[in-house]
Amino acid sequence: MSDKYPIANEWFSRSGWQPYDFQIKTWDAILSGYSGLLNAPTGYGKTYAIWFGVVQQYFNKKKQPAGLHCLWITPLRALSKEIHMATERVSDELGIDYTIGLRTGDTSNKERTAQKKKMPNGLITTPESVHLLLAQKGYADTFKHIEFIVVDEWHELMGTKRGVQIELAISRLRAINPKLKVWGISATIGNLEEAKEVLLGSAPQKQTMIRAKLDKKIIIETLLPDVIEKYPWAGHLGITLIDKILPVIHQSNSTLIFTNTRSQCEIWYQRLLQYDPDLAGIIALHHGSLSEEVRQWVEEALHEGKLKAVVSTSSLDLGVDFRPVDTVVQIGSPKGVARFMQRAGRSGHQPGATSKIYFLPTHSLEIIEGSAIRYAIKEHLIEQRIPYIRSFDVLIQYLVTLAVSDGFHADIIYNEIVQTHCYESVTRDEFDWCLAFITQGGQLLDNYDEFHKVVIEDGIYKVTSRRIAMRHRLNMGTIVSESMMQVKYLGGARLGAIEEWFISRLKPGDAFWFAGKHVELISVKEMSAFVRKSTTNKGLFPSWQGGKMPLSSQLSKTIRHRLNEYQSGAKLDAEMDKLAPLFEEQKRRSHLPHEDELLIETAKTRDGYHVFFYPFEGRNVHEGLSALFAYRIAQIKPMSFSIAFNDYGFELLSDQEIPLEEALANGLLNNDNLTEDMLACVNITEMAKRKFRDIAHIAGLVFSGYPGKPVKARHMQASSQLFFSVFSDNEKNNLLLQQAYDEVLTFQMEQVRTLQSMERIQHQKVVIQHLEKLSPFCFPILAERFREKLSNEKLEDRLQKLIKQLEK
Amino acid sequence: MRIQLQNCEFILLPEKALYRPDESLLVIADVHLGKARHFRSEGIAIPASAQNGDYEKLRTLFDKFHPFKVYFLGDLFHSRLNNDWQLFESLINQYPHITFTLVKGNHDIINKTLFQQLHIQVVNHIEDKCFIYSHEPLKENASGKVNIAGHIHPGIHLSGKANQSLRLPCFYSTGTTFILPAFGSLTGLFMMDRNNDTEVYVVLPDNIKKI
Repeated sequence: MSDKYPIANEWFSRSGWQPYDFQIKTWDAILSGYSGLLNAPTGYGKTYAIWFGVVQQYFNKKKQPAGLHCLWITPLRALSKEIHMATERVSDELGIDYTIGLRTGDTSNKERTAQKKKMPNGLITTPESVHLLLAQKGYADTFKHIEFIVVDEWHELMGTKRGVQIELAISRLRAINPKLKVWGISATIGNLEEAKEVLLGSAPQKQTMIRAKLDKKIIIETLLPDVIEKYPWAGHLGITLIDKILPVIHQSNSTLIFTNTRSQCEIWYQRLLQYDPDLAGIIALHHGSLSEEVRQWVEEALHEGKLKAVVSTSSLDLGVDFRPVDTVVQIGSPKGVARFMQRAGRSGHQPGATSKIYFLPTHSLEIIEGSAIRYAIKEHLIEQRIPYIRSFDVLIQYLVTLAVSDGFHADIIYNEIVQTHCYESVTRDEFDWCLAFITQGGQLLDNYDEFHKVVIEDGIYKVTSRRIAMRHRLNMGTIVSESMMQVKYLGGARLGAIEEWFISRLKPGDAFWFAGKHVELISVKEMSAFVRKSTTNKGLFPSWQGGKMPLSSQLSKTIRHRLNEYQSGAKLDAEMDKLAPLFEEQKRRSHLPHEDELLIETAKTRDGYHVFFYPFEGRNVHEGLSALFAYRIAQIKPMSFSIAFNDYGFELLSDQEIPLEEALANGLLNNDNLTEDMLACVNITEMAKRKFRDIAHIAGLVFSGYPGKPVKARHMQASSQLFFSVFSDNEKNNLLLQQAYDEVLTFQMEQVRTLQSMERIQHQKVVIQHLEKLSPFCFPILAERFREKLSNEKLEDRLQKLIKQLEK
Repeated sequence: MRIQLQNCEFILLPEKALYRPDESLLVIADVHLGKARHFRSEGIAIPASAQNGDYEKLRTLFDKFHPFKVYFLGDLFHSRLNNDWQLFESLINQYPHITFTLVKGNHDIINKTLFQQLHIQVVNHIEDKCFIYSHEPLKENASGKVNIAGHIHPGIHLSGKANQSLRLPCFYSTGTTFILPAFGSLTGLFMMDRNNDTEVYVVLPDNIKKI
């Protein structure tokens, strides 16, 4: 090893380790003044690859400045804690004078005040906490000597508005200290180069990409049912496979069981205990709505190897390394290749170890995903993360944040933000619109106006009202949740939080499962629900709203490919063999589509007239296509549709016969006027209205208050939907409104992907099947509970129909 | 739509108001004037013009029915006094021949002398031969009279075949209580139940439908 990095040398020789090539490369790059992105898997020392560079650089200075030198940002508090321990160990064991602090939502007020007086050299924190620091008076002084920002798990943050917060913070801190170096750490994603560009922005700087190139071996085994269910209702099969999962748990040291929703997490935990009471006390559950105390307990018990299994959601996806875990189970569709690999990587963390992951499908058609994902991993088909651009809500929040602390000059901040990836295309006019929004509440003024938020004094934008400053600080952040109720025992112990709407449907005495406990509701006081242990054995499982993750395009493409291979008679794998009877049944009742065919099924049932389409493109694209198709069909005659979709296809249901042939002849699948039609279909407005919920919160129009704290100012409350319709009626050019539509097109409907699939569908042969009996493919779609509506019938006609049905 | 309450004729208006021809009385509940400006004064950028429609709608009704009397059934203003008062003042001064009465609601915190200067009476409720007009529906009503009230912002959720459903504002009648929909455009809906004892009159853009 070279003597350029004596601190690392000492650490490694003490431990008797050899550094990896990528670690040495990273140290070199940091010491030569580069910014960059490090692509390395968890468990191979990526933290130290960055850390020793940072610390060495600090001690290479002639004089070590006091105060903040490095800001280390992670997406999770739990991960922050781990990084804090790992870096503090270096300072302690080597006896070097580099102090490290932790600042997250959990940090006590006392500690915050102490930090304010004397900042540590390294601060491990989250994106939200960084913005809270920017909201403090005199923040520029705090960051005066900052030299490094390290962003951990950047692949996780990039596709979120928290990523945008990081971009903004970097733009500000770079202005304070132009020598700032920025490093990101990312797992493998399909657009690493773009990930680097987004993080670093367009400010001139030396930059590099370092890839660890340590391929991890992943073995996937699908837990298959003995006999395949030919009529796969969604969510039905999962639990019946419980006898397959129990041996896996017993054979392993410690197992992580991942589910896709918090509700599933609760259900599986309960069922496991029910089927194998011996597991009591050695299994636990973990999800984002459990109280911090409960989660911490579970994490510690996992570390110490006290738990045989933990049922979890994405709350345990990231970073933190649980050594005792040697097995991972994924319940339900893995949704994407990168996510699946990340979860698989939670086992076999040791360098060179193989990761073993079991996949448990929740309906029989899902079995195909086990086969598809194995193929995708082999072929390195890994998803991209799409960064947010032009997020005016986050920009508005940021501007008020700066106005709350020391105030800002518009020109200076404008020049900074256009160097970020998110805002590079924002014009000065648009920026001025944001300024008008926070200073005069929009561009239109009348004589009677009393708007008050940010004021301009001597060219400096600032907040002078303490009440407004306080409210802003309380509502900062980009994660918007449903209105939550704290669930507590009478004694005061907190179990966690459940969405208000779920509690509001319960009466005192009703039992439900939460945090793995069976409890009954006693009373509701303000935003707390008090419970006690229930003596009955029945009860509801809570559910949480929130977007369902769509199948990625990589995975859906692979599924189409696998179906095709099956048809060509190739011998594939255990999954496809298992599925053969289902596919044969699909052939008998309908048709099994080839890669170059689009299957459409029609049926008439008690519920009305159904048409099913199977593009196999993932639910987001199906959501868009279904709205588009419904809109186009309704151009023939006024109709009302109910729309359901899953990752494989979608359904249009109507009380009238659907003129499918006529619609096809009129160009239902045509690419002409595609974008216009997409914008015209009513559902875009509905979708935008939903997106606007988050936007209104982030931009400070709607307050959620702090979790657990009741909203005091009821008279200040209005729903985001109200704002949406008011802006739609009065202020068409409102940038937040436009942002809602842009987000729908980019993220929800995945416009690019939708255009690509329409392109593909154009060249497909359409196969229409009129079903006498429902087919295996259409069952899971019929079972989807969440449905969209689209109608262009007159309100009065719709009401008339509804009334007629009520009278029957 | 014309209906009978206590043998008196009332007209339910799609503007979300109630008209009683024999007394030339117009009844309006929950206008929430000044709400947009109240939000704005607290730094929430809702367009001030958002509520202009409510003033226009009031004028339209006054011009169409030429009522002798107008009862506002509470929550006429959303919160404390702000510049909306001047718009309200000019509206009221435009109709000197109408007698206005405000039945005080929980949001009505503006000093009543201001109303009195505009010759608007402020009362807790109004009782006549057959009816009691109040803001909140009366908890107990043994008078044998029908209680006409606001406060609730009633709406109804209808669902039918092929998963079709609608949420609409309504007039809602149960037992001796008759509840008006909220008049103001910046108000939400509270979903009501329907059973054998209820009568629901749904408000559509141009008319009223009983269901």
